[in-house]
Amino acid sequence: MIKVFRERWQRWVNRRVPRSDSQSFNQKNIFILPTGAGVVFGILLLVMLITGINYQNSLIYLTTFLLGALFVGAMHQTHRNLSGLQLTLTQPGEGFAGDEVPYRFRASAGKGPAIAIRLSCEDSNLAPFHIPAGQAMDVTLPVPSAHRGYLRPDMVRIETRFPFGLLKAWSWVRPVSPAIIFPRPVAAPDAGSTVEDGDEDSARRPTIGNDNADLRPWREGDLSQRVMWKRYARTGQMVVADWEGEQGNPQWLDFYAFAGADNELRLSYLAWQVLERAKGTTPFGLNLPGQVIEPDQGQAHVTRCLRALAVWGEEPPRDAISAQHGTRWHEAPREKEAAA
Amino acid sequence: MKLTQAFSLGREAVEPANALPSNALLWLIGSFAILLAPQWDRLPIWLVAACGILAVWRWLAQEGRVRLPGRWLRTGIMLVLIAVYVATVQGRFTVDTAASFFVLAVGLKWLETRSTRDFYVLFFILVYLAGVNFLFQQNILWALVNFMAVALLLVGLQVLNAPDLPSDMPSGWRRLGGLLLKTLPVVVLLFVFFPRMAPLWSVPLVSGEARSGISDTMRPGDISNLAQSSERAFRATFGGEMPAYRDRYWRGLVLDYLDGETWRQGREEGFRRPGRIAMDGGVGPLDGREYDVLMEPTDQRWAFALEGSSAVSDNVVEEGDDLFRFRRPADSTMRYRLALDESRSPGNAELSPAERRRFLQLPASGNPRARELARELDQRFSDEGVVDSLLSRFREQEYFYTLRPPAMPEEGIDALLFDQKRGFCAHYAGATTFVLRAAGIPARVVVGYQGGDSGAGDEYLIVRQYDAHAWVEVWLEGQGWVRIDPTAAISPARIESGLRDAVAEEGSFLEDEVLSAQKYGDMAMVQWASLQLDRINYQWQRWVVGYQGQSQMDLMSRLPGGIGMRELGYLTAGIVGAGLLIAGLFSALQLRRGERRDDFQKVLLSWHRACESAGVPVRQGETPSTLADRLAQARPSVTETARRFARMVNSHYYKASSESDGQELRRMRRLLGTMKRQLREASKGRQPHSESGTTS
Repeated sequence: MIKVFRERWQRWVNRRVPRSDSQSFNQKNIFILPTGAGVVFGILLLVMLITGINYQNSLIYLTTFLLGALFVGAMHQTHRNLSGLQLTLTQPGEGFAGDEVPYRFRASAGKGPAIAIRLSCEDSNLAPFHIPAGQAMDVTLPVPSAHRGYLRPDMVRIETRFPFGLLKAWSWVRPVSPAIIFPRPVAAPDAGSTVEDGDEDSARRPTIGNDNADLRPWREGDLSQRVMWKRYARTGQMVVADWEGEQGNPQWLDFYAFAGADNELRLSYLAWQVLERAKGTTPFGLNLPGQVIEPDQGQAHVTRCLRALAVWGEEPPRDAISAQHGTRWHEAPREKEAAA
Repeated sequence: MKLTQAFSLGREAVEPANALPSNALLWLIGSFAILLAPQWDRLPIWLVAACGILAVWRWLAQEGRVRLPGRWLRTGIMLVLIAVYVATVQGRFTVDTAASFFVLAVGLKWLETRSTRDFYVLFFILVYLAGVNFLFQQNILWALVNFMAVALLLVGLQVLNAPDLPSDMPSGWRRLGGLLLKTLPVVVLLFVFFPRMAPLWSVPLVSGEARSGISDTMRPGDISNLAQSSERAFRATFGGEMPAYRDRYWRGLVLDYLDGETWRQGREEGFRRPGRIAMDGGVGPLDGREYDVLMEPTDQRWAFALEGSSAVSDNVVEEGDDLFRFRRPADSTMRYRLALDESRSPGNAELSPAERRRFLQLPASGNPRARELARELDQRFSDEGVVDSLLSRFREQEYFYTLRPPAMPEEGIDALLFDQKRGFCAHYAGATTFVLRAAGIPARVVVGYQGGDSGAGDEYLIVRQYDAHAWVEVWLEGQGWVRIDPTAAISPARIESGLRDAVAEEGSFLEDEVLSAQKYGDMAMVQWASLQLDRINYQWQRWVVGYQGQSQMDLMSRLPGGIGMRELGYLTAGIVGAGLLIAGLFSALQLRRGERRDDFQKVLLSWHRACESAGVPVRQGETPSTLADRLAQARPSVTETARRFARMVNSHYYKASSESDGQELRRMRRLLGTMKRQLREASKGRQPHSESGTTS
C-alpha cells in the first residue's frame, strides 16, 4: 500500500520535475511544508491563544495574531526565496570510486535574492549559499560514489528554510548528464603484459640509446611506416617498432595481464597503473577488450584512459538527452568539452 | 559499499560547542535580557543573577574562553537551582511562579544550547515568556519593549538560518519590517474581529505576592510609607461632573477590630476559589451618574468606590459595610463601572446588637488617658457633641499633620493625643475611632484613597498611592454612618488639594522618589509630558488592552447587520482565507509578470525544443551559432534559416540590432515558424537515415 502510494508520488513528482540538466523553480515544482520547528511553533501559537482567552488578555491575542501572520508571511518569503531560481548542471564531475565526485552547478537567482539555499544529494550536503537578485553563482556539490561507471544522482534536492527555519521549501533537479567514476586504483601486482612479440627480453629490457625499440605485433591503427617490413619479409609477422628515441618507451597497460583477477579488479589495477605512468613521461597505451587507446602521454591522455576504464562495459543511464528520439548517448561531445 | 559507509560515518562529526553562529546567539541573549526587564521587580534577585551568569558563561564558551560544563556539573547546577526555586516558591502556584520557572528553564538551557534544535527550544520558551510578560505589564511602553524582544528573537532566527549573509543583502530587520508591514492589515482585522470568547476555564492567579497599595491591616505609619509612592492606583472617568476634591473619598476597606496597636478587618475574608477572569467592565457611554474605574492590579478582591455607589458592571459585587468586591482578585488591570446613587444613604437602619458589639470593640486595657478623655466627653456631650468636640480639639490645639511622625512605641494613642501631637492620617483616624468607641459611640476606620488629580485634558482622574488615606465613620442615631475626617480638621489642605500642599512646608513629599514626575509637579514641562504619557496609556488600556468580550460586542453592534459571536467566527475565517488568497494571487501575478517579460527567452526555448526533436541535443553553454551549425549538419535543408535565426539571436543579445524589440521578436517568430516547417518536411524524408546514423 505504502509502496504504491510512494510510486504514485514519485511519478507525480517526476512529471513536475522532468529530467533535465537545467531546472528553474516556480509554483509548479516548489513544495513547501512546515519544518518540525514550524509544527511546534503552530502548537505554541495555539497555547498562546488559549492563554489569551483564559486570561482575557488582548495583548497576548495581539502577539498570537502577529506571529501567526508572520508565519504566513514567512511562507511566501520562503517560497519566493526559491522561486525564480534556476539551477543548471554545468559539469558533472569525475573522480575515483569511493571518493566524492564534484558536481558543478550554476545557480542564478531570479528577480529576488535567493538566500540560504542548500543543495543536497543523498548524504551529501552543501553549506547554505546566497545569491543576490539577478546574479549567478557556481556551486560544487560533492556526491559520494560507490563504484565505477556512470553516476547520476536520481534527485538533487534544493531546499531553503530562510527566513525563520519554520518552513522549508524544496524542489529537485534530476540531472541528465552523468558523472564518470573511475575505478578505484588498486596497486597492481607485477604482471607482464600479454602484448608481446614473443621475445620477452625485447619488451622488458631496459633500453639505452637511440637504437632501441619496443617491438610488438601490428594492430589495427598502427602507422604503416612503423611496421618493420624487413622483419615481415623474414618471418611473415607484422611487427611494429616503437622507437624510444622519438617518443619514449611506450608501455602497454593490458586488461589481460592479470590472470585470474576479476574484471573489476583488473580495471582497478589498470587505473592504478595509469596513475603510476602519469607520474613519468613515458608514453603508454591501454588495451581493453573492444577498445584500444594508443600510447600517448599528458594529462588529457590520462583522463581519456581513466574514462575508458570507467565506462568499460557500462551502459550510459537511460533517458539521457533526447532519449525520446532513440538516439544513444555517446562520448564524443564530452571529450570535446573536456579538451576545451 | 564499504567505502561509502566508512565515508558517511566520517561525515557525522561531533558537533562542537560553537556549532551555533555567534551572532545568532547574541540576538537570543539580548532578547532574553529585554524579556527579563518587565519582570525585574518581581523576579527574585538570585534568579536574575543566576541567569545572567549562565548566559555569560554560554557566551564565553562561544568565544572559546571557557568550556561548557560537563554532564555532572550541569546536573549539579540544575539540581541546586531547582532546589532554591522550590524553596522560594513554597508550593504556591501562580503565573508569577510559573514565569520565574520559565526564566529558570531558559537560564539552565543556556548551558545546553549546542545545536540548532536547542536554539529553537529556547526560541519557543522565550516567545511564550513574552506572552506571559503581558499578564504582568500591559502598559504601552512595556508592550513595546516586549514586542521588541520578540522582534529580536525573529531577527535571531534569520541570523541562525543565514549566519553569513553578505551585508549588501537586506538585513534581518528590513526583512522583518517588510513582512510586518504586509501582514499588519490582517493582524489588525483579526484583532478586531476575532471572537473574544469567555474564558474556557479558571486559571491560576497571575501573582500571589503582595503589591504596594493599601493593605487590610493598619499600623500607625503604614500609610505614610505609601505616601512616598507616586505609583498609580487607579484612574476614573465620570459620566457627569467630577466630584469636588474634598468629596473624593474612595472607600476600599473597613477596619473595625483593634488588636493592640493594629487595626484589622473584623470579619476575615475567607478563601474563595478565584473565579474566571471577567474583563467586562461595562460598555457604552457613561450616563450622568456613572463612573468608570480602571484599577491597577492589587491582587486583592477589593474595589474602590465613592460613598453611596452601586455596582453597574458584573465584575463587582456589593458586600457588607457598603464595600465592593471583585469575584476574582485583581491580578491584572481591572475595569469596572459604578453609579453614584443618592438614595442609597444608609438612612435610619438600626445596628444589630452584634454589629454594635463589633463597632465598639476595644482592647481590654491600654491608653488610659485616651479612655479618660472619652469618659469625660461622654459625660458632658451627646454623641454628636462628642464628635464635634473631638474634631474641634484637633482643629484648635497644636496638632500637626506630618509625613515624619515621631516614634510612639508604647501607648501610641495617648502619646499622639497628649504628648507628641504629630502624626499622619492613620494615626489620627485610629486615635479618633478609639476615643469614640471608648465613649460608647460605634465607629470604624475606613481605608482607601482621598483625592486624585486630573489627567491630561481633564478627561479623567488619576489616583496615586500617595493619595492613600484613612478616615473614620461614626454611627449616629437617626443619621446612620457619618464620615468624619480628623485629618481635615488638622490639615484642611490635605483634603482640599492633596498631600503635596499639605506637606509643602515640610518638604517631605516623595522625598525618596527621585525620578517621579509627580515630585516635580511645579515644573510644567515634566508635568505635562508625564500627563500626556498617562493619557496615551489610558487610551491604550481602555481600547486595546481592554478590548474584550462586551467591548467587542459593543463595537460590533454599531456596525450594520447584527453581528454576533458566530458571525464573528465566520468573519475571522473569511479574513484569514481572504488574506491567504490575496497573498497567493499577488505572488502568482508577480511570477506571471516575470515570465511574460522575457518573450525572447520563450522563442529561444521553442527553438531549442525544435532542435532537440530534430535529433540535435542542445548542450550547455553552446552559442546560438554553433547550435545552428550542428543543426545544419544534421539537417542541411534548414542551414540558411538556422544561421539567420542564430544571427538574430546574437544581435538581440548583444544589442547590435537597430530594430525595436517588438519588430525583432516578430521576425524571429516568423523565422522560427519557417524553420520548424522545413524541419518537419525534412524529417519525413530522412527518418530512416537519421536512425541508423545516430545509433551506430
